[in-house]
Amino acid sequence: MVDRFLKDSDLAAVTAAWARDFRVLAPVREGAAIVYRLFSEDMHPFLLRPPTSSAKEAILPQTENLFTYKYRKDQDDLTRTEVFLAEALPPEPTLILGPRPCDARGRHLLDRVFLERGVIDPQYKAHRAATLFVTVACTSMQNTCFCHWTGGAMDDESGSDVLLHPVTIGGVGGFVAHAVTPAGEELLATLPEATAPMLEKLAERRAATPEPEPAPDLSDIAGSFLAMFDNLDFWTDQSARCLSCGVCTYLCPTCSCFNITDENYGMSGRRLRTWDTCMSALYTLEGSGHNPRFSRAHRLRNRVGHKFSYHPREFPEAATAPSGLEFSCTGCGRCIKSCPVAVDIRQIVLDVLAAAAEKAPDKVGGTK
Amino acid sequence: MASNSSASDSPDRIKTLRAKIASELPNVDFVLGYGRGFDPLHATPVTVRTEKDLDRLIFDPTCVQNLATSLYGLRGKRLGVVVKGCDSRSIVQLLQERLWERENLVVFGLPCEGVIDLAKLRVTMDIASVKAVRFEGSVRDGKVVLTLPEGERELPSAGLLADKCLRCQHPNPLVSDHLIGPEIEPQGAQDTYADLAALEKLSTQERFDFWKRQMGRCIRCYACRNACPLCVCKHVCLADSREPHWLSAEATLQEKWLFQVMHALHLAGRCTECGECQRSCPMGIPILLLKRMMNRELKELFNYQAGVSLEAVPPLHTFLMEEDRIKDRGLLW
Repeated sequence: MVDRFLKDSDLAAVTAAWARDFRVLAPVREGAAIVYRLFSEDMHPFLLRPPTSSAKEAILPQTENLFTYKYRKDQDDLTRTEVFLAEALPPEPTLILGPRPCDARGRHLLDRVFLERGVIDPQYKAHRAATLFVTVACTSMQNTCFCHWTGGAMDDESGSDVLLHPVTIGGVGGFVAHAVTPAGEELLATLPEATAPMLEKLAERRAATPEPEPAPDLSDIAGSFLAMFDNLDFWTDQSARCLSCGVCTYLCPTCSCFNITDENYGMSGRRLRTWDTCMSALYTLEGSGHNPRFSRAHRLRNRVGHKFSYHPREFPEAATAPSGLEFSCTGCGRCIKSCPVAVDIRQIVLDVLAAAAEKAPDKVGGTK
Repeated sequence: MASNSSASDSPDRIKTLRAKIASELPNVDFVLGYGRGFDPLHATPVTVRTEKDLDRLIFDPTCVQNLATSLYGLRGKRLGVVVKGCDSRSIVQLLQERLWERENLVVFGLPCEGVIDLAKLRVTMDIASVKAVRFEGSVRDGKVVLTLPEGERELPSAGLLADKCLRCQHPNPLVSDHLIGPEIEPQGAQDTYADLAALEKLSTQERFDFWKRQMGRCIRCYACRNACPLCVCKHVCLADSREPHWLSAEATLQEKWLFQVMHALHLAGRCTECGECQRSCPMGIPILLLKRMMNRELKELFNYQAGVSLEAVPPLHTFLMEEDRIKDRGLLW
């Protein structure tokens, strides 16, 4: 597949051309936030910084109509009620422009949950098949980024259909567009080929990009977490600042928990799937009124544990996955960056490792 | 990792704060204070349980959070809390409404010249590349020096102060057991509600379009609700209730908007405009405008401002046969 060139000044026109065949979601700046909006001709996609929200919404929408239903009373026998179901419409072909490699890798983690755990989720499968990712490679790491802790990199291709590498040559800004999949190649078919100087310039920039600080050794984290599971003082101190809101989970490219509710309107209604968040007390509130995760400490513990301990234990093959994704986290850092009280999951992970090592120094290395 | 320094972060003041907190540690379960977050622009709330935690304490214009927010969820404990002038108003309001007991609270009050609004910085630069921050001169008209990969950049601090600081009338905590540092003169301008006036100039349709656009970004994370020190229902909120079913689970404009209206109405006469709802919104939705709208009404109708007097009774918590500023429309009793 040859690499092509997409000039900054052509971006809106090229996106508009894609929008003839796809529902295009593109990032735009709105105040201090960068959000995905349905593309319209008067919009200029903003690709310079990672969007505030993750690309998850393209394949796991916040609200999804599973089906609609209608009840009808039998007029001759009022004890009998018939119910009629209507399936939701299949998803439109969708293209999401502007995710980062960490977002695109998030697709693998959602796949594990919705496609690879023995039950195939038809809605997710349909969205997944209908959606293309035109990803923008990063040129630097923000101070909240830690994709390299999870096997990722600024220019990781995994999960993308097209990867756009920002490059400026002769004062002209644009992207070297690299097709990762055949569908991606089709998207780029009308663009001019990238010239040799462009590719050289790109190679130079990539070579000059400083390496991030080495990632810590996380090989003990799954076991260390379990060793710290019952230490509620530890989790209370970690979570005393937590507001128990849904910012971290809703912006996360890999959090997959959902709720299912029936929204009734008289004799008809819709069954919806909506995002849910384990940070909410309602998440585990049982019908009896009992709540096994009644405090913020329990809930924050769950978020960390799910990503770094339960997930690798549930998917043992993850340790050798080609994507490098052992944990249910791609290191995008949104949960850190947008947290109103600056909770830092990296620090919690490091604190867990340190506290577990202190608790059982002889077990370190063999706890996994 | 962080290298902040500023006039208000004077070593003496932090030393006094640490000493005062140390003296109270035997009397409390723990103290909520500010520590350095993941980068020099972010502070994060920390719990101080023992003397070894004291070193983590900081105080400077990055200490934006209102720590009074955590109090209600920690009822039953005896706590210490570090507050700025504005945060102390939330404490006054919590005490007024008997949502916390005065004897179970030790307040460490810090007169505050102002805090910075990261949203204002974020529109001008990628704040994640900031390596260090220095506050030079006074917080109100000095400068903020940021160390960026390409070198240092200076910005006048006045342009970065949170809006609430620009109109602050209560820089000194209104309730405190330990007042740390000299009291300062209020430097805030009189609140003219110019932001509301600008919005009200728009036609109804334009205003509706404005809110449609803004609320379109909402992800229903409820950070606004959970960051509110007075939104004490938290997870038994009407917004989460299935029975009665006020709000649907779907993320539509209608549901998002209904919640914001509900929040604003429930805060009428209680909101101290600490601004945590708006600051916490990851999508930058200007929801404080709604609360300010209510507060302006309250001021006009009842000449009342929330959280400035321990003895006052919030107007919507009481009833008067005749209100000074409400015409009874000539009805005879």
